Amino acid sequence: MNRRVSLPPWVGRLLACLGGSVVLAMMVGKQQGSKDDYGLAFREAVLNPRIFYFLLVGVLVFLGITYQDVVRRYAGRPGVRPLLAGVLILLASYFLMKWYDPLGDGKLATFGAAVTSTPAVAPVARIFFGWLWWVGLLVTAAATAAAIVWRLRWLAWASAAVSVLVGAIAVAAHSLAVSFAGGIDHSFGAQTALIGNLVLAGAGVVAAMSRVETARTREFVERVMAFRPGLPLVAMGVVLGVLALVAATWFDPGGKNLTLVDTQHLFAGSALSGVASAYLAWLGYAVFAVVVVLAATAVWTAQKTLGYVAAGGAVVAILVTLATLHDISATATKAGYPGSAGEWQNLGTGGWVLCIALFSAGAGGLIAARRAPVIAPEPALARGSGALGRLHQVGTSTTLLSLTLFGVGLALFYPPTATAFWQQALVTDIGVYVLLAIGLNVVIGWAGLLDLGYIAFYALGSYTTAYFTGSLPVQPPIHLSPLWAIPVAIAVCLIAGVVLGGPTLRLRGDYLAIVTLGFGEIIRIIAVNNPGDFTNGPRGVARAVPHPVIDLGFIRFEWGGSQLQYWYLLLVLLALVFLLFWRLEGSRLGRAWAAVREDEVAAQATGVNTTRVKLLAFAIGASTSGLAGVFFASQVGYFNPQNFILNNSILVVAFVVFGGMGSLTGAIAGAAVLTWLPDFLRDQVPSEDRIMWIGAVLIVMMIFRPAGLIPARRRKAELTGLAGHDPSVDQDLRAVPAGEGV
Amino acid sequence: MTQATTTADPDDLIFDVQDVTLRFGGVTSLQNVSLQMRRGEILAVIGPNGAGKTSLFNSLTGVYTPQEGQILLRARPGDQPVSVLGQKTHVVNHLGVARTFQNIRLFPALTALENVKVGVETRQKSGPVSAMLGLPWQRREERESTSQAYALLDRVGLAGRANELAGSLPYGEQRRLEIARALGTDPGVILLDEPAAGTNPAEKQELAALIKQVNHDGVGVLLIEHDMKLVMSVADRIVVLNFGSRIAEGTPEQIQRDPAVVAAYLGTSEEEAVAELDTHDQPELHVIDTSGGVTGAGSAGGPATGEEQA
Repeated sequence: MNRRVSLPPWVGRLLACLGGSVVLAMMVGKQQGSKDDYGLAFREAVLNPRIFYFLLVGVLVFLGITYQDVVRRYAGRPGVRPLLAGVLILLASYFLMKWYDPLGDGKLATFGAAVTSTPAVAPVARIFFGWLWWVGLLVTAAATAAAIVWRLRWLAWASAAVSVLVGAIAVAAHSLAVSFAGGIDHSFGAQTALIGNLVLAGAGVVAAMSRVETARTREFVERVMAFRPGLPLVAMGVVLGVLALVAATWFDPGGKNLTLVDTQHLFAGSALSGVASAYLAWLGYAVFAVVVVLAATAVWTAQKTLGYVAAGGAVVAILVTLATLHDISATATKAGYPGSAGEWQNLGTGGWVLCIALFSAGAGGLIAARRAPVIAPEPALARGSGALGRLHQVGTSTTLLSLTLFGVGLALFYPPTATAFWQQALVTDIGVYVLLAIGLNVVIGWAGLLDLGYIAFYALGSYTTAYFTGSLPVQPPIHLSPLWAIPVAIAVCLIAGVVLGGPTLRLRGDYLAIVTLGFGEIIRIIAVNNPGDFTNGPRGVARAVPHPVIDLGFIRFEWGGSQLQYWYLLLVLLALVFLLFWRLEGSRLGRAWAAVREDEVAAQATGVNTTRVKLLAFAIGASTSGLAGVFFASQVGYFNPQNFILNNSILVVAFVVFGGMGSLTGAIAGAAVLTWLPDFLRDQVPSEDRIMWIGAVLIVMMIFRPAGLIPARRRKAELTGLAGHDPSVDQDLRAVPAGEGV
Repeated sequence: MTQATTTADPDDLIFDVQDVTLRFGGVTSLQNVSLQMRRGEILAVIGPNGAGKTSLFNSLTGVYTPQEGQILLRARPGDQPVSVLGQKTHVVNHLGVARTFQNIRLFPALTALENVKVGVETRQKSGPVSAMLGLPWQRREERESTSQAYALLDRVGLAGRANELAGSLPYGEQRRLEIARALGTDPGVILLDEPAAGTNPAEKQELAALIKQVNHDGVGVLLIEHDMKLVMSVADRIVVLNFGSRIAEGTPEQIQRDPAVVAAYLGTSEEEAVAELDTHDQPELHVIDTSGGVTGAGSAGGPATGEEQA
């Protein structure tokens, strides 16, 4: 009597895939219609023949899902993952990256059209930009795929060789074309294409060399890392260092792009200090060689002392390099060399890349020293801090530690080479929000309290700074420099956190979220309403908040000259906060937070004062936000209540969730990626569409990797199912979560 | 604190519960319940489902505050008697009362060792600042809590499982881990809520040995259990609850012979129970299906609703 018409399941799947293609087609390109034709963009997306490309993608996805048994059998083969990665990198380099800055949008298509229509350019460049870029991609990708499927070793080797060749041609063609065209070019398209081709070649080599049926990527990586811990870092250092010493620009007054040798010639006979001129002539090569040899030996022989010596040598080498860089720019400016703009100006990428290389090599030595085999006592009862060690050991495998250290090297020495736009973005968007995310991670990730009014503490910190530096209409009893305002702002936010948390923390989950949301809005509206002429209302602060100053009498340093100075101040703050919170996570308070988050009733019954613990999380998170507020206020000078809208609170929550709740490195990575993305997309998609793409990234991320970019060990265990490891455990008999009765 | 106090006062009571009545709205979960728990004994609370056993536990640990009556606590020898009523759960725990739960409530994403450390560390002093700065006394406390937690895990036979996630342990080990966590708070009395539920006979034997061992080490044990074999083998005294009231109290032998108890478990009148007792020389309560019979009545449904309000 109840007859249901049921279609075969593949019909729904096909429709879903095709529907997805149409959505994707509409996302790529402008979304807006024109004034008198609202449906313009829609028709362009859907009725244009290009829709067939998207439908084809949909059909491919459909086939992949429907025949996933077959696909999966081949997808597990060695070499498939690097193949996909290589193709993706190449596609990104061809369609996303810039190839030549001065020309229009600078993409490959534009630049390539210009190159091929200019007969005077070297033939290599014309061939590459004419057809080789896409033919090379198709041929190598198809050949590698065929080699993987049919296990043709000779084909795998051949396609690997071709890939390397195409990559080399890409770089050569690009540099030929650019040197023909002139103009200042900082694009990375060609380099990315080289990397993509090398990854493709790697796929070929893996396919040719491997004898197993299924790839074990993680095991492979771990084995490589465990072979000689620190070796990848040292290798990276060697490659970057050689590039820096041989090819990179060290000094470019007026776009001259002088390499290290050229720079030496330029400064021959100048008033350059002894160390610097020696550095340009031979010392630079010497210190690099010494550091690399030391680090490599330490890594190879796994000697503790040697590793530390290598790290120390790297530090000295970096200091000498920095001194030389300073000397170059200062001397050139003093001598009035045309184009010199002052100390630390006009420096090319060379010096900074060499610093990254030295740092990387030194970090390799450090890892070798730390991971050097020691005759360890039985970890169980012998070592006191076993649990603490374990928590952080799991979090910091050698792979992750290497990546982190390399990231630190980049954070230290990459920003000086970045454009002014990216330096600005690094400080105002990325850096501040990383700090905020670290703080909110304490509240959401560790203690499990959903705080939607987090930005209010940021506002409190900013306004406290503005008040104590005399930038508000009401003058303070004592004027403080922004650096002295830090403890005051932290104290204010601590108190505000306790005042807000005291009555509200007995609420749970959703209710707490609503209360904090209300609190955030109250703070913002108070700032707008300007009670007692305190906040100066929606116009923002009355006078600019001064820049921080360090004045010790004999030495005086004032921030504000460039964004870089703020970046390094921020790095110091970040490192400090990271270190303190890292210790906190492994302490008894960190465990108490985890206990409260997991099961509040059980935590109480175990004697944890849950109110106090939650209050501490709230206050510590709030004070971090306050610290970020001080930094923000003194960095931007002028700010207004618009900077503290609800949207920003939600963004910080998104950063924490995206990065991996409860994971410090995750919070940093999440905030960095999600704040970097809008600025990156600025050049890639119409600016109105940026947020849509970020939304898409979030959705995909939450579906396929719900634990976040870098999941916390404790959180990961929650999500992946606990009894899953042991089949003897009955799922129903697991410990119940909080709120399901005592 | 001294041994002299204990011996000087033979009637030293850990719990002195006087006429406690606990209501949820119109439903009475506990009705004028009185019981005394002596120092050093294993006291079992039994009764059919919905009899108010867990409500009693929750009242003793400060989760519920009974409307009437008095609960005096003197967890450790030499303590002044303290009223439990109106105290917060964690405060009651600090007064020396530890407990486990009927449905295991570990911190599943923490390792076994960390679970116990959470318990041990509630007795420590170091705060967030010393943890952030890694001050010497914080490090010392950290080492102490780790070695204590290892010792406790060893005591319950889980030393080899220290670094496994609590949630991934087999059921019986989770039960024992919960006991270890409770012992970590250095209690004077431990309340075990159906520790044998869902465990197999071998595990039950280990559990009985563990309970006796814990008691031997000077911790009072208050036990809720349905498994009569276990109760009869470990308990010094038994209190029987039914429909929120205490219907019997005595040694295991007395309880087994008590017509009111047998009636409650059989769901029959006392006369029939007496007849039942006469026909069997040695009535074995543990063979009676305790999870079925007596829960159907409306009054028995009341306490259950109350429990869900937690």
